[in-house]
This record gives sequence, structure tokens and C-alpha cells, in this order.
Amino acid sequence: MTTSRDISFHLNGVSTERSVNVRKTLADFLREDCGATGTHLGCEHGVCGACTILHNGEPVRSCLMLAVQADGTELTTIEGLSPQGELGAIPRAMKSNYAFQCGFCTPGFLISIAALLQDGNRPDERSIREVLSGNICRCTGYESIVNGVIAVVAETEASES
Amino acid sequence: MTTVPTQRFVGTSVPRAEDDRILSGTATYVDDLQLPGMLHAVFFRSPLAHANILQIDVSEARSLPGVHAVLTGIDIEALLNPEAGSPGIWMSENVQFPVIAITRVRFVGDLIAVVVAESRYLAEDAAELIEVDYEPLQVIVDAATALDPSSEPIFEDLGCNLAAEPTCNTHGDLEAVFAKADRIFSTEIKQHRHQNVPMECRGCVADFDPVSGRLTHHGSNQGVGRSKTTLAEQLGLEADQVRVLCNDIGGSFGLKIGASREEIAVAAISRHLGHPIKWTEDRSEHMTASGHAREETLEVDAAITEEGHVLGMKVRMVCDTGSYPALGRHLGAIVERMFPGPYNIEALQFEYVPVVTNKAPYIAYRGPWAAETFTRERVLDLVANELDIDPVEIRFRNLRSHREAPGQMVTGRTLASCTARESLEALLNEVDFDSFRSEQDAARAEGRYIGIGVATYIEAAPGPRNDVDLGDETLRVRLEEDGTVSVFTSQMPHGQGHETTFAQIAADEMGVDFSQVRVVVGDSDLVPHGGTGGSRAAAMAGGATLHAARNLAERTREIAAELLEASSSDIELSEGTARVRGVPASAIQLAEVAKASLSDTPAESQSHSLEIEENYKGGQGGWSGGTHCALVEVDVETGQVRIDRYVVIEDCGTLINPAIVDGQIRGGIAQGIGAVLLEHSAYDPDGNFLASTFMDYLLPSTTEVPRMEIQHLESIPNDPDVNFRGVGEGGMIVAPPTLVNAIEDALTPYNVMITEQHLPPQRIMELLQGMQPSSK
Repeated sequence: MTTSRDISFHLNGVSTERSVNVRKTLADFLREDCGATGTHLGCEHGVCGACTILHNGEPVRSCLMLAVQADGTELTTIEGLSPQGELGAIPRAMKSNYAFQCGFCTPGFLISIAALLQDGNRPDERSIREVLSGNICRCTGYESIVNGVIAVVAETEASES
Repeated sequence: MTTVPTQRFVGTSVPRAEDDRILSGTATYVDDLQLPGMLHAVFFRSPLAHANILQIDVSEARSLPGVHAVLTGIDIEALLNPEAGSPGIWMSENVQFPVIAITRVRFVGDLIAVVVAESRYLAEDAAELIEVDYEPLQVIVDAATALDPSSEPIFEDLGCNLAAEPTCNTHGDLEAVFAKADRIFSTEIKQHRHQNVPMECRGCVADFDPVSGRLTHHGSNQGVGRSKTTLAEQLGLEADQVRVLCNDIGGSFGLKIGASREEIAVAAISRHLGHPIKWTEDRSEHMTASGHAREETLEVDAAITEEGHVLGMKVRMVCDTGSYPALGRHLGAIVERMFPGPYNIEALQFEYVPVVTNKAPYIAYRGPWAAETFTRERVLDLVANELDIDPVEIRFRNLRSHREAPGQMVTGRTLASCTARESLEALLNEVDFDSFRSEQDAARAEGRYIGIGVATYIEAAPGPRNDVDLGDETLRVRLEEDGTVSVFTSQMPHGQGHETTFAQIAADEMGVDFSQVRVVVGDSDLVPHGGTGGSRAAAMAGGATLHAARNLAERTREIAAELLEASSSDIELSEGTARVRGVPASAIQLAEVAKASLSDTPAESQSHSLEIEENYKGGQGGWSGGTHCALVEVDVETGQVRIDRYVVIEDCGTLINPAIVDGQIRGGIAQGIGAVLLEHSAYDPDGNFLASTFMDYLLPSTTEVPRMEIQHLESIPNDPDVNFRGVGEGGMIVAPPTLVNAIEDALTPYNVMITEQHLPPQRIMELLQGMQPSSK
């Protein structure tokens, strides 16, 4: 019985090769084997959204995928949104809006927001709330997070005008 | 002369010191740790609510490759200090029980065995191979059955199913008050079982070093000191042989206090096997076994006048404390003391009956005593309805201002600094009740049901000092050699932003930039004993920071005065320097002052030490509190409730960081919304837990939680220096009655009387069943 397989993929733009146990989830693999502990596990059954990452640009629950499914793909995690130790545009706007408290749900929200704002999308508050309803935060009551997204959209619009 | 520095950071929304690591994915939560040689623990838990354990067969589990050990209750007991009491922080002297069950399991999720393996995957595989023979026992899932004399005691030590001896106390002249009442209003108010649900489940990494004999325990916990005490006692170690560390914590809300039974077992196994051991609870375990809150029934007789004055109350509170001793046993005293709230209630009789059932233990959850606010605020609306008085008006009739001549609760505490009446007055400026009533009439004519609800509360965060001991808060500040300031606090932030708020306070006192203050938390070798809880951080630790930093500033000025050959009263600390006031050119860096103090002779070093310990007693303290108002629409076809507007008038004293304060308020309200509309830690009659996943236990999301309008009242200073007050719990305390009051108001035409807190669509439809709207 095969218990491990070699896979190669890009993690936050970096070409990576690993041998992975075939039954390991992608979330556990990222956290334990790739040192990418920014991705968190809040429920391990695909509801809370904390483990959300981008898989070929699409938001996925990394707790519901197997690591072997990452073979040949591009993955983006929270670490990829702040390259070289500098906060990127989305995390920066979140900081100015005091968006988060304990920070545990944060990786999933940031990735869901990054996915929402891809391709120049400029959602209004209603669509922001609709999309982010797939991520649970227990600390904030969400208003500060929504304000952060609105700020990113406004910043993008300002820079384009 | 004490120079009061200009405040620059307190009162402003300084960006949070915690955010760079949280937002970049570099924060460290306990499950992020990987230590060399680390093994993984998984617990085998009881599938039955109440049973004797006849036999446990772990042989197959033990033989699975990769498994290092499988330990049962007896194995763990042998690794622990036989002199130690039962595990837990809530005093359980009248009940003895082991860390892992040996002869009997008492709730679904109770601990039976623990598997240690090279990975969590393998440990879970092995746990599935454990075979247990049970003898099922009578399962008790409700208070009435628990109190039935024919029911077997769940704990034989107790002899019955009372978790503690019931209490009944009377305050004020109850007989006289009931004699002069125009009528007695009787009802029974229920809160339902729900729970904290931090996004991070519990966990730890225990790392015993056989060479030094020292345990390093990485936890996720509201106070490293409490965990350290428990672990040392249970493992039979000297206190200094245990070091508890906490890094970032993914929420707690009262849940993660002290070392849990699981953590004690994991620490003991680390010592036994000589490996670091990680335990990471999964969500299902967490929902089932980490603890629940709030299941209680309050029978109320209220002595009232025709004008709506509530003169006195008789209350009998029955609390379903679940199985193992925890907060539920002690809760009555806090609920009793707070029951009158800010109102002119002249007499109170309060009876508390804590019962044991076969459910998860009753633990602290944000505003644990909230039953007093929910019951009182619900009763006020029910009385208002009975007497046909407006709910706002009935509150005004029972509230007076404490600004000029503070009153006193009949249960003892002074109401000095309480602004409950002022908060209700301020609400009327924000919400136009008359125009809402017109809209409501118009909506009803169209078959739409909108409602408005208010509720008022106060919170002892920490409350005023009169004869109440607020407990000490010890804290240290130090001027470092490089001119930065370190604050060592017992508080263990898990979202509250203490690293930001305490730094703001210290920066102002020391005249340094906010970025020059480092708040040190989460290391029992470094920080004072204590922990976070009871909304004490702002007032107690904030106050301790202020006084410690103020004393450190004074000491710094004295040393600088010697260096600058000036009088210390002429020295000011500003921009990270000490200088003679009015002579900017005299400025020397604080680093120079710190270095000068290090070159002291031993004789000087005591008086020149630039490390100050403050043991703060809480000053004069003061009340937090306010009034909340919700405007809702209830869809009578589906039972859905939509919150159209939510208004908060809040008084938490001086705001340290307004953005952080507002975040605390919103987060608490969101939990209150969840409690009313969604969340229920439900059991079936056999004691099976029905809400162990997020598909069964629903949490509020962006589409259920509205924007909140928050206004801060100008509070009444109660202390010459420290008027920061806690604000963490208020939202969760007062949002449930606010919402339920609004929902009942919306359903007035249906003449629905609501005496419970959990109102998901299904329950609203049950309440409406067979009811026709009147034309009222």
C-alpha cells in the first residue's frame, strides 16, 4: 500500500517539493510540513472558514482537501499576502480598521477577502457580507472586518481615479 | 510635587500592537508549536452519559505501530500526586473524582483513556481500537429529575444531586415590601444552555525535562499562574519546577481558565514518557466536553405597584451545573449580589439551587452572572405589559440618578458612579420612540411585525470599593537599558489588545512613544500571579500600570535630576528623554538614565532601582453599564428575526482605546445575538449531545449581525487617577434581554408572552401556533 507520494506545487510563489502521507489533509500538511502555520484549523469540518486558502486562485477549505491534491497547483496562504515581512494592502486596511481581535479566524477571512477582491471586483457592503458569511469570527461582530474590506475597495478606487 | 504628564495615547485609537503578527500569519498559537521528539495525545471519551466502567481493553490500541502508550484512569492516577485534591479551579472539596474516569463516566465526552502516538492521525486510529464494557446507569438530563429523591446520586460523595447546599438569603424588609404591594407578578424565566466557542479549541504542549526535573507547559489559557499552581500540585512538583507559557490565544471568553483535566494528564504523560506531548482538541470534543454555560430557571414573584414600581422580588434560581464541579456551584452568590442592578428594589429574597446532571460542566462564559440582567429586564417588560405601561417609562420609574447622592443596592454595594438612568435618557436622544410606534402601527396594518426592545444593566468591572475587596493586581514596570519600558502583567490577553492598551497608559506616564513600551505576558517565570477574567484588565491592570509607571517616572526624574544637577521637580519626561523643564537643550535620553542607575553602588541601588512593582487594590473603582436598544422585524410566516437597528449607550469610564472598546462591545453583542437566535448546546433525553459540529451549533455570521451605533456616556469619575472600567462582558450580558424584549414587542398583536431566551425560527413558530393577531 502506498503511504506517501511526492508532490510539487507553488506555495506563495515559491516552488516547493515534498513527500507527503497520502491521507494527510492539506491544512495539516501546510502547517506541519511546510511551516506555514498562519493557516488555522477552527473546526476541521469545513464550516468555520479559518483554514481557507487559495488553490489555483480559488478559495478552498484546506481542511477538506488532501495534501496530494495540491500536486501541480498554486497555493496562496495568509503568509503570501504580506511578502517580505511587509503587510500587504488587505492586511494593512484591516489593521487601520481594528478588524480582528484574537486573530484565529484571520487567515481565512484575509484569503476570502483576497478572493473576493480579485480581478478588480468592487463589491458593496451587501455582497461583502454575503461572501464573508462563510467565515466565522467569534470576537468582533464583523463590522470592523467589513469596514476593512470597504476601505480596501475605496483605496483601490482612489488609486485608479 | 507630582507632575502629571500630558496624555497623548490614552483616549486615542492607537493601532494595535498585536496586529502585525496576527495579520501577517506569524502569530504563534499553541498548536503551531513543534518540538523535537514531540508525540501527540488523543483522548478516548465516553459515548454514554452515565455508566459504570466494567472493563477497558486497550491491548489492540497499544499494539498499533507508532503508538507509544495508551493510558487509562488508573494509569494516570499512578503518575499524579496522591495528596492533590480533585482537579479543577472551582473548589470541589465535597466531591472527589479522578483526572480520567476510573469507575464511572458522568457525561458524554467524559475522559476514559488517552493514546499517545507519533502523529495525531495514528493516535486517533488507535483510539478507535479501544474497547470498553459499560453498565449503563440512569441518565439525568434535567433539574427536576436530578432533584427527585428517587434519582440516584451522580456523585456518591454528595448523597444527592445538589452540587452544593442550596442557599436562601433575604435582603431588606421583604414582608413589609410584599405587604404594601398592589399586586404580585409571578413568572418563570429560563436561560438555555449555550457555550463560549472560541475559534481556537483547547490544547497544550507539555514538555518535561528529566535532567532539570522541570515542566515547561505551553498552554492556551487566561492566566499562566493558575495553570502553574494546578499542574505543580497535581504532578507533585515544587511551584518553581513548573513554567507555564502562553503565546497567542484564539479566544476564550471565560472557558480557558486553569489547567484542564486533559492538560494535567498530558503533563503527567510527558514526565512519564520523557517526550514533549501535544494535545490539540478537535471541534467536536470541544463542543461536547470543554464546558457549557447558562442553563438556569428563575422563578420570580415581584411585588409591584399599579404605577409600575418594582418594590421587591422573591427569586428561586435552579442552575443545571452539569456533571463535574465548576463555576455552576458558586454562581448563585454573584447573581444574587447583582440582582437589583441599578433599580430601586427595596427587598430581595434569593434562593439558589445548583443541581448535578449528566451533561458537560457549567463553566464561565462572558458575563457568567447574566441571569440577573436577563431575568430583571424581562420581568420589567412583562410587568410593563401587564400594567399597560411603556417599557422605557417603567424603567424610568424604577431608576434614579446616582450622580448627586449615590444609592445602594439592597444586596450591599453602593451605586456611586452608576449612570444607568443617564444612559436611558441618552437613548431617547438617539431613538425616536414615538415615530417608531407610528411606523409599527403602519407596518402591522400591512401584516409586518416590527418591534423595539430596551434593556439596562450595570457591571461590576470592578465596581466601586466600599466594603468589597476587589482583589489585588500585581504588576511590574521597568526602564530598560535601551530606554524602552517593559510592563510585566498577569493579564493574559486573548483578543482584548492588552499589549496595546497597557502600553498606551505606560507611554503617557513615562513620556515615551507607544512603540517604546513592550507588554510582557504569558510566562509564569516573568509575570506576576493572576490572570484575565471578570473584566478586571482595564481597571485593575490598567490602574496598576498607571501607578507603577507613574512611580517609575518619579524615580527616573530623581536619577535624571542628579545627572542634570537640577531638582527632580524641575525634570520632565518627554519624547523618550529627561530634561529640565523649559531647557530643551538639557535633554538626555532615558537610556542614559537607565545606564546611570546600573552603575550605582549597592547602597544606592535599592532607592535607584528602575523596576517598580505595584500591588494595586483597585482605587475607588466604579460601575460600567448602559442601555441597549434593538429594532427588529419578525417574519411571522417563517419565524425569522431580522435586526434592523442596534443602538448602544455605554459607560465604561475613561476610554483607553476607543476602537478596542467598541470592538469589545460589538463582539459581546454578536454573542448575545447568537444566544437568542441560533445557539443551543442541546441534549436528547438519553444525554447524547446534539450540537457537536458547526452544522448543529449555529454561530452568527456577517449576515445576522448588524452594524451597531455606539455612544459613550461621559461617566462619573470615582477615583482621582483611574477611571478605566472593564467593558468585555457587557454586550453579552445585556444583548439577550434587549433582543428578546424587541421580539416580544414585535409580536404584541399575537399576545405572546416570552419567558425564555432561545428564539430560533422554529421556537417563534411554536409560540405563534394557533395565535391570531389582534387589532391592538
